[in-house]
Amino acid sequence: MQVVYYAFTLVFFFFAYSVLNWGLNIQFGGAGILNFAYIAFVAVGAYVAGALTAGPPAPGSGQSYVLGAHLPFMIALLCGGLASCGLGLFAGFIAFRRLRSDYLAIVLISLSLVAYDFVTNYVPLFDGPDGLSGIPEPFSGAFNLNANSFIFVFDAFSAVVMVAMWAAMSRLTRSPLGRALRAVREDQDVAKALGKNVFRLQMTAMLVGSFYAGIGGGLIVFFSGAFNTSSWTTPETFVVFAAVIIGGLGNNAGAVLGSLLVPVIFVELPKFLPQLASQPALVPEIDNMLIGALLIAVLWFRPQGALPERKATFDDLMAGQARW
Amino acid sequence: MVPLPSPCVNPYGLAIGFGLVTASILAIASVGLTLQFGVTNYVNFAYGDFMTLGAYLAFEINAGGHLSIWLAMVLSALCMGVVGVAADRFLLSPFTRRFPNLFYVLIVTFGLSLILLNLIGAIWTPNFQQLPVATENPLHLGPFLLTPSQVAIFGTGVALMFGAHLLLTRTKLGKAMRAMSDNTSLATVCGIDTRLVTSVTWFITGALSGIAGSVLAIDLGTITPAVGETFLFVIFASVILGGIGKPYGAMLGALVIGLTTELSAVVINPAYKLDVAFGLLVVVLLLRPQGIVASAGKA
Repeated sequence: MQVVYYAFTLVFFFFAYSVLNWGLNIQFGGAGILNFAYIAFVAVGAYVAGALTAGPPAPGSGQSYVLGAHLPFMIALLCGGLASCGLGLFAGFIAFRRLRSDYLAIVLISLSLVAYDFVTNYVPLFDGPDGLSGIPEPFSGAFNLNANSFIFVFDAFSAVVMVAMWAAMSRLTRSPLGRALRAVREDQDVAKALGKNVFRLQMTAMLVGSFYAGIGGGLIVFFSGAFNTSSWTTPETFVVFAAVIIGGLGNNAGAVLGSLLVPVIFVELPKFLPQLASQPALVPEIDNMLIGALLIAVLWFRPQGALPERKATFDDLMAGQARW
Repeated sequence: MVPLPSPCVNPYGLAIGFGLVTASILAIASVGLTLQFGVTNYVNFAYGDFMTLGAYLAFEINAGGHLSIWLAMVLSALCMGVVGVAADRFLLSPFTRRFPNLFYVLIVTFGLSLILLNLIGAIWTPNFQQLPVATENPLHLGPFLLTPSQVAIFGTGVALMFGAHLLLTRTKLGKAMRAMSDNTSLATVCGIDTRLVTSVTWFITGALSGIAGSVLAIDLGTITPAVGETFLFVIFASVILGGIGKPYGAMLGALVIGLTTELSAVVINPAYKLDVAFGLLVVVLLLRPQGIVASAGKA
């Protein structure tokens, strides 16, 4: 039973990270936005989804946070996605105006560091470092589930969400909008010369990606039942970057493969390894160093990733069958 | 270590004193970051972790070698210079030569930052390390109230800024760096050995990150593996404020950010004083993305 439970935990993270990877894939692989704050968008979605179902802080619990409500979890999940879009709008308005790609990365990474610092220090807003706990498990009431059977039902729900989001994303990538985004990524000036509104295209990619980040974050918070600021820091952003690049940048199937290769094998699987009593952080530290080294090696030896982006040929476009 | 003010002291005067100390730390760090940006034209996202590594090396040399913390700082700076050159020669330069697209090298520095952060955590544990700085009695200097260490940090900052000024204006190397910063191709056809200049620049940026990390640790009294990374966005703020790639702009930016953050701590909760730096960064980016002093073009 224990092994089955572990396996289903890994399957859940495979689904959730696939959603996260598509979000970064459309931002970075699609429009060339180097979003080093990606995890902040995931965290916003997770917090909003969690708080909207967990209810207001109970008096006497010592917790204090905003947005507490008892909404149905599907609505809370959507609200989480939209809240991430709100952050995306804010970041985009600062960062997409006349800025080079590395300025943009500086603004975004600073944004994530500041947001972390502020949320941790300003307790009344999101309950500071303690975060949320006791977020109700979706479906538990409806199907009368216990802690063990919850994971099967929630895995099935996550699978449905993942398939729906995959379908939406692959339609978007094949659409004229997807092509325009790739034009922006390849050369902003050329895209501008062709009459494309670069600011609007980048903002679109930012918002779609933020929505995916928020939904993925919501799934994770419902699965784990708690929200803690320290789980959403820069190294987590790096995991998503590594997954997207190793899987194959600009390829939606590559993002799925990347989800299996990096977050599942390198991040979630080692959590089941026995810890060293003297230094409990050592296993994750070695793990993170391996992910960093792996990504650098992949960038050098196979920059296109495991499943490369399929470049459209003229004949494909003529036949109307361009596929990525 | 912020000494308790006695009631007769003006809080704004005190804050200006601390602001000058913070500005000195920031100026050392910002000039190091911006010199490298100017010459190589990409941002090093691992710079904060370079600083942390420098601080831990100084701590280790100080504790293990029984040397004064200031001597340890100099030795740590030399080590970090070598680390900088090695990172450039074996990792970053190969990437920039092979992939003209900026994205590759930016992600590599981001990955290097993750590796260094976790390496530091694995070697020195994620817990606090206390620097063996003796409790010092603060000195009354005019309106300021500073410990001798803080005065020494200020002196170090001023001396290094003067040194950077001499380097950039009086030496062939400095002029070559400025030439590369303006236009690398033009500098190459003028006969400047750009690879050598790049290596020397990485030595300087590494050494400055080591000194900046050490003085930051001396000022705080403790070090954690994340100390450099949390300071990184404040460095970005002062670098962008002055115009990225411009050493004099970075000095001015450091002064503005240092004074603003410390003065803001008089009126708001000091826990948020670094967030003020981010607010300034946002305002500057919206109003003048090319920086206060720099001309348009780089942004």
